[in-house]
Amino acid sequence: MATSGSMIAAVERRASEIDDLDTLVRLHWLRVFRFALASLRDPDAAGSVAQDCFLRAYRSREQFRGDCSTETWLMRIAVNLIRDHARNRRLQFWKRAQTSAVDLEAVGRCVPDGGVSPESGAIARQQLAAVWNAAGSLSERQRTVFLLRFVEDMDLLEIAAATGMKEGTVKVHLFRALHAVRERMGRSQ
Amino acid sequence: MSQHLSSREISQWMMGERTPQQEQHVCQCPECGAELAGMEAALALFRGSVRHWSDGQSRAEPPAVGSILRARGSRALPMRWALAAVALLVLAAVPVYRNVQERQRQAEIARADALLLEQVDAEVSRAVPRPMEPLVKLVSWDFSATGGRDEKTGNEEIR
Repeated sequence: MATSGSMIAAVERRASEIDDLDTLVRLHWLRVFRFALASLRDPDAAGSVAQDCFLRAYRSREQFRGDCSTETWLMRIAVNLIRDHARNRRLQFWKRAQTSAVDLEAVGRCVPDGGVSPESGAIARQQLAAVWNAAGSLSERQRTVFLLRFVEDMDLLEIAAATGMKEGTVKVHLFRALHAVRERMGRSQ
Repeated sequence: MSQHLSSREISQWMMGERTPQQEQHVCQCPECGAELAGMEAALALFRGSVRHWSDGQSRAEPPAVGSILRARGSRALPMRWALAAVALLVLAAVPVYRNVQERQRQAEIARADALLLEQVDAEVSRAVPRPMEPLVKLVSWDFSATGGRDEKTGNEEIR
């Protein structure tokens, strides 16, 4: 009885969180934006997707059953929006060239220099570039699963809830993504 | 377990799937330990770099709710104009379509009238009514074949 009571309380808490758009944005914006940015690699598109994500979440809050966390629910919406955006972008082929590519030089600057030799730093930057490139060449589903697992630290069940895939399917995509990343890292050495 | 981890097993390990035997092997095997540590380090670096890159973006700051609603509204505006234009076009096209249909209908009626008149003309210009045509054939003969003489009487054709 106490369990069902706590479950109801949790659902009510989540529902009230979604009712307040301001709080929703403040608490979860960064994560949704980061996931969109890592997926699309375009800051403007990521910002636009994040905005749409919160609005859609707010407008369809009646449909939220509370069977997952607010964050997972937001990620589910973001995954769908990113997929739609990527499809639209494929149609607008002339926009491809304008899409800002990731500046791997800038990304490499986050490799910590303190305490590592220049050689180790260079290897780390090389490996980092390999992971970035590999993530960019993954299929849409593999990339989504890879980013949710290794950037957003979501477990397999959360990823399944966010993507609408079965846990087994998530495992298969993640395995293939990791295999591709390892292959790319091996080639970069 | 004495063999090194296979490529498949390393990927499975990174997914969090590992057996006690594999864990024991990795503890004892510097090669497999280094392989896994290198992979974990690269993924941690990737996670850090994505977060670093994302945090550095001007859009990483949560926007005010009002600006989200305005941005959404301004994006919806061109779509609304487009829908209004389409609705206007449809409204303008309806009378034109009806006019064309009316003209086609009138042309059809005119064609049917002309056909009917032709049939009436044909009936009116007939020498004998249609049911009597076989009888006329029975009593008719060809004057040209007898040189203008009646074969039965031998009389000259009266002209």
